[in-house]
Amino acid sequence: MSAYLDELRALLREGGVPADQVEATIADLASYVAETGGDPEEEFGPVGEFAGQLLAARAPEADATDATEWRWTADIFTDRQMLARLGDQGWEIDRVDHIGRFVSHRDPERPQRWEYRRELSIGGSALAARLAPEGWEPCGTWVYYRYFKRPKAASVGPAAQLDSPPAAPTRSVFFSRRFYLVLAVALLAVIVPAILWEPSDGDEPGFLAGMAVGGVVAIAALTAMWLWTARRRP
Amino acid sequence: MATDRRASWLKGVLDLLVLASLTEGENYGYEIAKMLAGSGLGQIRGGTLYPVLNRLEEAGLVSAEFRVTERGPGRRYYRLTEQGRRTLAEQGRLWLAFDESVRTMLASGGLATGGLK
Repeated sequence: MSAYLDELRALLREGGVPADQVEATIADLASYVAETGGDPEEEFGPVGEFAGQLLAARAPEADATDATEWRWTADIFTDRQMLARLGDQGWEIDRVDHIGRFVSHRDPERPQRWEYRRELSIGGSALAARLAPEGWEPCGTWVYYRYFKRPKAASVGPAAQLDSPPAAPTRSVFFSRRFYLVLAVALLAVIVPAILWEPSDGDEPGFLAGMAVGGVVAIAALTAMWLWTARRRP
Repeated sequence: MATDRRASWLKGVLDLLVLASLTEGENYGYEIAKMLAGSGLGQIRGGTLYPVLNRLEEAGLVSAEFRVTERGPGRRYYRLTEQGRRTLAEQGRLWLAFDESVRTMLASGGLATGGLK
């Protein structure tokens, strides 16, 4: 199985597609590629974009058709895939609110596709100035990430207009399995040492040592998780 | 420009073409793409075809069944549903009426089938 299909599998799983359906899709696409004898990326396009299209086509949680403003959130492992997917459904990000949600809207009359990019916010105004000639404009900042948007018409022309966009998702929280894993590891790293070094009367140094060990283990575990996931990011 | 225009046309009708390719019976992605290419529509990439198949499946216009094959990892076979058959008939008629209007307009503009007069 190619790295492309492996990545696609991960993206579809993060997008909430049940495992058996993901496996059937991946097997089917592997057969397709084998028969064309081509390269998966050439056949299906960039993996993030293709995953976004497949997920958008599913739109399983579609409900309200006329929602204009919608607030949603995703973790840093899945935010770019979700931005690609929802941008393809016509959602334009206006800003990131104080609790980290994307505040977005969709033009009910003439929806069009949007594309997004995420950059480290250390560039400041120089970063925005560098991206502006390509049509990118800032649309929000969260901790040390800055998000930019541009109408997809800039890259695909009239095809960016949406004729029949899927309804707004009813779900507004998109956390990946990786996020929950990191959270679980962090919690365990704090709780386990606290249990092992449970404080007792007159055992204050032991309690403090437990806390210290917990903190160190948590930092080490999070660093390891970060490096592992960073390697997997494109 | 010609390629862009053709892509736009195809975008508006590809779902109907996929439904039409299934009227004779079930089929799978690669064969559907081959059938469309064979009818002169040009090569339809998997990146274009599969989202359409997914949308049709979600809309209940086709049903899909995954089967393991003797060679290779397996395939998803698509079959037209009754709803898909009805949609194809209704939307197909609308497209043909649209096509007729385009032909009439182009003919009045001096274009005949087979080239300019």
